[in-house]
Amino acid sequence: MEHLWLVPALPLAGFLLLFVTEGRLPDKLVAFVGAGSVGLAALATLAIGYEFVQSGQTEYTAALWTWMAVGDFNPSISLYLDPLSLVMIGVITGVGFLIHVYATGYMWKDHEEPAGYSRFFAYMNLFVFAMLMLVLGDNLLVLFLGWEGVGLCSYLLIGFYHKDAGNGLAARKAFVVTRVGDTALTLGLFLLFWELGTLQVQAALDQVAAGALDRDTATLICLLLLGGAVGKSAQLPLQTWLPDAMAGPTPVSALIHAATMVTAGVYLIARMQGLYLEPGSAQEIVAWVGLLTLLISAFTALVQTDIKRILAYSTMSQIGYMFMALGVGAWSAAIFHLMTHAFFKALLFLSAGSVILALHHEQDIFKMGGLRKQLPLPFWCMAIGSGALVALPFITSGFYSKDAILLTAYETSSWVFWAGGVLAAGLTALYTTRMMAHTFFGESKTTPHDLSHAGFSPVRIHMWLPLVVLAALAIGGGWFGIGVLDDLLGEVGEFSHASPQAIATMIVPLLGIALGICMFRVRGELSKFAESKLGQRLCRFLRAGWGFDWVYDLAFVKPFVALTRVNKKDAVDYFYRVAAGFTRAFHYIFALTQTGRLRWYAANMAFGLVIVLLIAAAWL
Amino acid sequence: MILTVILLLLVAGVAAWAAERFVGPQAPRWVSLFAFLGGLAWAVFEYADGAAAGLYAQQAFAWIPRFGINVVLELDGLSLLMVGLTMFLGVVAVVSSWDEIEKAHGFFQFNTLWVMAGVVGVFTAMDLFLFFFFWEVMLIPMYFLIAIWGHENKGYASMKFFLFTQISGLLMLLAILALVFFAYDVSDEVSFAYADLKRLSAHIPGDIRAWLMLGFFVAFATKLPSVPLHTWLPDAHTQAPTAGSVILAGILLKTGAYGIIRFAVPLFPEASQDFAWWGMFLGAASVLYGGAMAFSQTDFKRLVAYSSIAHMGFVLLGVYAFNTQGMQGAVMTMIAHGFSTAALFLMAGALQQRLHTREMARMGGLWQHAPRMGVMTMFFVVASVGMPGLGNFVGEFLALLGAFQQNVWLAVAATFGIVVAAVYGLYLLQRSFQGEPNPDVKTMLDFGLREMSVMVLMALALVWLGVYPQPVLDLSAATIETLGVLP
Repeated sequence: MEHLWLVPALPLAGFLLLFVTEGRLPDKLVAFVGAGSVGLAALATLAIGYEFVQSGQTEYTAALWTWMAVGDFNPSISLYLDPLSLVMIGVITGVGFLIHVYATGYMWKDHEEPAGYSRFFAYMNLFVFAMLMLVLGDNLLVLFLGWEGVGLCSYLLIGFYHKDAGNGLAARKAFVVTRVGDTALTLGLFLLFWELGTLQVQAALDQVAAGALDRDTATLICLLLLGGAVGKSAQLPLQTWLPDAMAGPTPVSALIHAATMVTAGVYLIARMQGLYLEPGSAQEIVAWVGLLTLLISAFTALVQTDIKRILAYSTMSQIGYMFMALGVGAWSAAIFHLMTHAFFKALLFLSAGSVILALHHEQDIFKMGGLRKQLPLPFWCMAIGSGALVALPFITSGFYSKDAILLTAYETSSWVFWAGGVLAAGLTALYTTRMMAHTFFGESKTTPHDLSHAGFSPVRIHMWLPLVVLAALAIGGGWFGIGVLDDLLGEVGEFSHASPQAIATMIVPLLGIALGICMFRVRGELSKFAESKLGQRLCRFLRAGWGFDWVYDLAFVKPFVALTRVNKKDAVDYFYRVAAGFTRAFHYIFALTQTGRLRWYAANMAFGLVIVLLIAAAWL
Repeated sequence: MILTVILLLLVAGVAAWAAERFVGPQAPRWVSLFAFLGGLAWAVFEYADGAAAGLYAQQAFAWIPRFGINVVLELDGLSLLMVGLTMFLGVVAVVSSWDEIEKAHGFFQFNTLWVMAGVVGVFTAMDLFLFFFFWEVMLIPMYFLIAIWGHENKGYASMKFFLFTQISGLLMLLAILALVFFAYDVSDEVSFAYADLKRLSAHIPGDIRAWLMLGFFVAFATKLPSVPLHTWLPDAHTQAPTAGSVILAGILLKTGAYGIIRFAVPLFPEASQDFAWWGMFLGAASVLYGGAMAFSQTDFKRLVAYSSIAHMGFVLLGVYAFNTQGMQGAVMTMIAHGFSTAALFLMAGALQQRLHTREMARMGGLWQHAPRMGVMTMFFVVASVGMPGLGNFVGEFLALLGAFQQNVWLAVAATFGIVVAAVYGLYLLQRSFQGEPNPDVKTMLDFGLREMSVMVLMALALVWLGVYPQPVLDLSAATIETLGVLP
């Protein structure tokens, strides 16, 4: 375990190598370095995880150096390994490695600029490094280092095709919106330090457990940290950036905007569990944020036409489940779902990526159709991923984790959360069915031009092998999770699948699928509604993400832009310009008196003398 | 030794001027380069040599004993940091304007060297008369740098710079003289010595102290600059030649910050305490107003200039928080900003030299022509946005952390400055290097070895400040302790 530092150091080394060589390495070597560094990190994680579990320790700290020591503020660069961070680094390096391998194929010859391939993997490796620092940091400042680092890489990768100004805009939006959340997080750190005198997580939580915080302060800190979490994890009210973030290449969406970075908020709250457990703290608000996001984004996913945007809204809603789990106290279940979601959502994104590549960057599901026969491998992978997303009972990983969340919610909390979660599960089934139906079934509207993505082509082994592994994980990850996570994180929860609530939880997704199939088959009625005035309006409203963008634009962006435009010349300078203008005016006036004519001077002198004498006389 | 270094810079200035006539137009820049490299080596040597009683070097002899005016030069931790930064950026300024200057090479280097000589004096003088003397020494050559080698509107900009600095400097001179007179009332001895005045100022009546403090503050806040005294800066920066901008942003602004930390606060600790709210308020206002103004600019260089105002706001915020974290954050911000903004000005200069414009509307998609310039712009934008792991973050985080413990609401307001920083920083990057390639720009020469090595050096400095700032923090901690202003 003393080699824990290697885990983040390897991707960092990969980044540095690619950065320093400025894209002069041959592409094959770039692929090797880019995916290899993460692969080695995954191997290191495996070895360290094995050692950690064998040793029976519950935590291990590797202090590297003091970052800054200023008065009583002295955070260090330290790595902290415990079951939670172990699970996280396992997911990050494991799924991360698979996505990197896939990306070596996906990004091949995809870029316009010569150094693009290298630049892509440099950013990706930097991202993995930052994400690992985020989850391994033993104090909140190191976490914040990773937190901002992943935000930066997200920005860089969303705008990877930077010649398209639209991508740049999407990247900027993602960065700025999450920065708003980061501001809250920063303030949370200030307040936490002010109250407890430390940012070290364990020391702070010990103090909290000993009652160092009063109720209001604890709540306030919880809310501020939650502000950061909702920004990063695209939850209400800062969720608007994620759908636009789909402008990035698909492996980026899979890695950053599905499997890892967007779950950082979940990790943060799970890490600060002790704080949220304080009575009167914001735990219930976390649950409400989760529930609302879950429902709103599930509804929005129903009307999207872009396959990646459907998946983006689906990600938001699945993270909503995780937040809800945190809010109702199902901590282990939240992390369990985080893990299974990483598997199946990465699978969904990557297989969608294969479809998109085969169709030459077509992403509209209404322009696809009937692809099941032509693209069997992506179809089956996507079907497995969808099954897990929908939570098909017993045979998918998503079922176990979602079940754990919903049934814990039922037991420990208000019925609202359970019912909302079940309703959303039905909606999930509905939009997933819709996506699958339009993409792979029905009449064919396009022909794939690149059939090498269709099956187990030997030249594409680096692209289909990750899919197959992820598919296996999407199915088997649930059993694995119950077994391993139970040991590591504590009870995920053993639930009877015979209770009425369990059966309802199980059946609703099936009903959703059935309904979806019916709606797809009998499209007449639905399209009649969709074409009606009300239907059109509703669709537009939903498609636009419930108008959040519109409101933010009106409330923040437009006033700011207008105000700064008006003040481009700097109103403060006006004051100085007027002062200068007066000075200049006096200068001209007095210059006029210098005519060079003696008579004029003499008359002035006499006039002045008269005035002075008059004043003197009046005064005396 | 300190005086020798200052004199050497002055002599090198004259030598550079003469070198153009006697050797050739290429000679002056070599003189400058070696002078600054020598200065840098000296600073490193003094650091390695260690401190005796907190001083790395000192020098004192009588100058005008009749009026208690002496040459007292001291190099403590903070001074050493600032002098080191000065020398380093001197090298950067010379190298970056290597082939930018087209006329009067000798006089250009003369002015550069004389500004820097004045700056070294300002950072080490411990006699207020001497301090004011150096304060003026650095003003005039800077005026020439803008007025002679500046861009299209140089006359206006240089005059504005001169008037702002001179008028506010006059206030400081009055405050210095008044302070000496009032101290004379108390002690019956005329002395301009920093140590004496610091000791005696406590015996001056309170309301007078407040006015004297304001006199110093206005001079330093103008130099810093703080809203609402900032409007000279965008013009001066935009019009100055690259080396001028680097010196102006990297070092001259820091003399304002240094003055507040060294003089305004320690000479009048109580008056400054009373003023703390206003100081922090002006800091927060600068952060937000400077940021918003930066966003509204379409001129690359002007945008960076306004962003300087925002960054300097963190200095005010940190100093007037009156705690260790705030003060250290202020010092750290001064140094990190020296690198990050100097680099961005360098970039602006390089762009202007290549495209003959600073308008971002006439840029766009430059990455494809010059990926190295793109990467470097990105790096320094990211640094100035406050990314953890780079120097600016350490400074701004500490300053805000300190401010938060003093006044929550002002700190909250300033913290939103990091959102604004993201808005204008990314806007700058995307307008110039990304997006649709501008059809008017057919080709653009990328950075070569000379420019790249300067940029990489500054980038490495920021990384070092970001991940292991402790040596710098220790240096300034020693000074902050001796100032004796923190509770």
